Amino acid sequence: MNYRKQTWRFVLITLLLAMAVAGCKKKVEPPPPPPPPPAKAATATISVSPSSIQPGQSATLTWSTENAKTVTVQGVTVAASGTQTVSPTQSTDYQVAAQGDPGTPEATNTARLTVTAPPPPPPPPPPPHQPSDDEIFSQGVHDIHFDYDKYDVRADDQASLTQTAQTISQHPNWVVLIEGNCDERGSTEYNIGLGGNRSTSARDFLVKAGVNPNQLKTHSNGKEKPVCNEGNEDCWQRNRNDHFSLQH
Amino acid sequence: MLKTSRPIVALSILLALGGLQAAAQDWIRTGTNRGAPIRLAVPDFKPSTGDPQTAPLNAVFNLTLWNDLDNSGVFEMVSKSFYPLQIPGAPGELKLDAWGTPPPDAAMLAFGNLGVANGKLTVLGWLFDAKNASTPQILGKQYSEDATPDNARLIAHRFADEIIFRLGGGIPGIAETKIYFISSRSGHKEVWGMDYDGAGQKQISHLNSIALSPRVSPDNSRVAFSAVTRDSWQIMMYSVDLGRLVSFPFLGGDNFSPAWSSDGTKFSFSSTMREGDPEIYMTDASGNGVKRLTTHKGTDSSPVFNPRTNGQIAWVSGRTGLPQIYIMDADGSNVQQITDQGYAVSPSWSPNGMLLAFAWFRKYGPGAPGAQDIYIMDIASRQFVQLTHGAGRNDFPSWSPDGRHLVFQSNRAGTEQIWSMLADGTHQQQITRDGKNSMPNWGFK
Amino acid sequence: MQGGIFEERERWSGAVLLSAGLHGLLAISIFVVAWLGTPRGDTWGGTSTGEAVNASLVSAVPLPAPQQPTDNILANTSKGLTETQPQTAVQPPDAIPIPDRQAKRKPDRAAVTNANVSPPVAPPKDNVVPYGQGGPVSGPFGSFTTANAKGGFNFQGGDFGSRFAWYVQLVNRTVSSHWYRTEVDPSVTSVRRVYIVFDIMRDGTPANIRMSQPSGIPSLDQSAIRALQRIDTFGPLPEGYSGSKVSVEFWFDYQR
Repeated sequence: MNYRKQTWRFVLITLLLAMAVAGCKKKVEPPPPPPPPPAKAATATISVSPSSIQPGQSATLTWSTENAKTVTVQGVTVAASGTQTVSPTQSTDYQVAAQGDPGTPEATNTARLTVTAPPPPPPPPPPPHQPSDDEIFSQGVHDIHFDYDKYDVRADDQASLTQTAQTISQHPNWVVLIEGNCDERGSTEYNIGLGGNRSTSARDFLVKAGVNPNQLKTHSNGKEKPVCNEGNEDCWQRNRNDHFSLQH
Repeated sequence: MLKTSRPIVALSILLALGGLQAAAQDWIRTGTNRGAPIRLAVPDFKPSTGDPQTAPLNAVFNLTLWNDLDNSGVFEMVSKSFYPLQIPGAPGELKLDAWGTPPPDAAMLAFGNLGVANGKLTVLGWLFDAKNASTPQILGKQYSEDATPDNARLIAHRFADEIIFRLGGGIPGIAETKIYFISSRSGHKEVWGMDYDGAGQKQISHLNSIALSPRVSPDNSRVAFSAVTRDSWQIMMYSVDLGRLVSFPFLGGDNFSPAWSSDGTKFSFSSTMREGDPEIYMTDASGNGVKRLTTHKGTDSSPVFNPRTNGQIAWVSGRTGLPQIYIMDADGSNVQQITDQGYAVSPSWSPNGMLLAFAWFRKYGPGAPGAQDIYIMDIASRQFVQLTHGAGRNDFPSWSPDGRHLVFQSNRAGTEQIWSMLADGTHQQQITRDGKNSMPNWGFK
Repeated sequence: MQGGIFEERERWSGAVLLSAGLHGLLAISIFVVAWLGTPRGDTWGGTSTGEAVNASLVSAVPLPAPQQPTDNILANTSKGLTETQPQTAVQPPDAIPIPDRQAKRKPDRAAVTNANVSPPVAPPKDNVVPYGQGGPVSGPFGSFTTANAKGGFNFQGGDFGSRFAWYVQLVNRTVSSHWYRTEVDPSVTSVRRVYIVFDIMRDGTPANIRMSQPSGIPSLDQSAIRALQRIDTFGPLPEGYSGSKVSVEFWFDYQR
């Protein structure tokens, strides 16, 4: 009988050991079973960003809830929290409703998305500091005048023509018409030729000063388009001219 | 010669001057086809029917006939106050000696009758030698047209031309010729045409732009002129037969002051097509075959052919400064300068090739006396005569086909108008009055 | 210097007296002559009516008053050759046909040299019809006169001259207007004559211009020929003339 007692002791120790070991592992005390939770109400928040859009733009709805068993936004069941892109055409209130444990009140929250008319266009920029072509032209390009029966550029007009050349060169899209004119004395036919020579000599000067010849057109008016009609030297001098104009 | 005493030297100078004066009168007389004037009596034509249209048409006819003969440069019209009372309507009624003796003392007599019947105007006219009682008749003519005032004028022009042709040495009269000119009375400078005496002025071009320098072709079928289109001057061609513009090549640059050769085959004008400097070019009558004739810097314009030979061209050149008149051969060679002072423009060559008429401001410059006047110059001797004298600014002379008349523009009456005169400067009269009128050109025939 | 002018004094009292005296004498003589010259008693012009025409106011249509012939009227009523009777005697020699002109020439030359002595504008001895007085040229001659020349035409068409006097005058006028007298040598002063013959074709153009008798002065001959050569046409021959051309002999007298 000793034999059987020994085996029983062995098994018992083993079991105890096993139990101990097992028990060590499991010595973390199992948490006490949670007490049955109290009935909790849900909370919900919703926001929309941006809060104001123009028609055609979109905004992002963001909501989050707590303790919610069911969540609806605008009556549509959604996840407990999330985002959605919306682009209504009119101002809309977005409501999120969250229902917690039964018996708890429903939580709602509203975010208003305003859809506004386009903002008024910005006021027009103030009158140009940037001058128009016509203004630049009239400041930088001046008519020149000639002696009787002559068509060569006078010495006192060379500065003016040089400035004209620079002005035109700065605007490569310009086309400038040079019209040669004569005073009322003298033959109609001969003056067509003289006016032509006057416009050509101005053009040649400008081309030599670096202007692209394609920007220049010449024409003669002879004595057919006077700017004044008195029969005195002052008027005649005014009529002996090359008139520059910008072609649009 | 230097050693002779003073009186003889003075005398020979006087004689030489007298010779120059005589020479000037010689070539004027010859060059302008003027002989001694013939005393011509032209009583009113007798009405031959009682139709109510006869009297007004008769009045138009008589006035036109008288003016044509008076302006012809061939006759000295016997004043109507000297005529005998009895006006003949047919040779049978004529008492010739009453006309060939003083007071009328006519050398020639034109008379006849005119009547309207059934809407037709019939005119019978005779030209008699008033001093030749045995065989007086030189001409007897009959005309018949529809009865309108225009036709009364037309018949008068035809009869006058017959008389002028017979008694003026075989040179056709100009009573049926036309003058083309520029008028601005429509608001724009356009080409107009009229009879040589100013009747029937009507507008020809309707470009609403600026038209200049009308020149009619030798067969009177086309009028060339220059006008602004968009931004350049171009030569335009108007067909008188078709009544509209016909095509002419659009050339580069500005093209102006056209001219025809008298055989109608060549055409000349001034153009800036190559250089920008106006030069004289020549083409055929359709504008093809462009040839350049001048190469000098300075405006070259206003070419005109020698109508007798077509082998020379006279034109205006500013190559030495103020414009002067030059002559060259029609291929551009043999350039000769004709004037060398003042401001000379607008040459016109007489039909017989002997004379140039042009506008000249001889003493030119501020304060210089005189004005721009019409001159004629004998090309062979280079002698010239002044035809207008300081009345306004005169320009654009144009010869008549008979070489006896000139038409020109003058502003002596206040505005630019067209005037005509005999080629010796007499009989100057104004023929346009409305608006401003300039640049006349007399048809070739 | 300033007082210098006033210090000078000329003695001019004597001259003043003389001048006044002469002036007075002049005035007196004017008065005397006027007084003496005034006609007494008779009216102006005396009792005769002289040669003036009495003009009187008429209530009827004024007819041209019959004019008394006077020497002052330039145009006379001469009908040409029909009145100049004495000259017809000279006519027959001129009508001698051309080949015989050698005989004719001498008397003309003699007449011409005689005329040299007398005043240059001597009345022509031959039957020249003064220009402008026209009339039927009953002889064969038409003529012209310019400042330096007289000339005449002989139309060899028989009665051409009388039937077509106007054409003769036309040729007349045309040639004289185309003649440059300055082409003649200025040293020529005496009278010379040149004869030229030419044809006028049906259309009026001159042709076959040739000298039939030179004057001896080349410049005169040449100027006459050139006058004809300058002419393009005289105008067509008269319709009543049936020939295809007419020959014209043209003589040309020059004097300075």
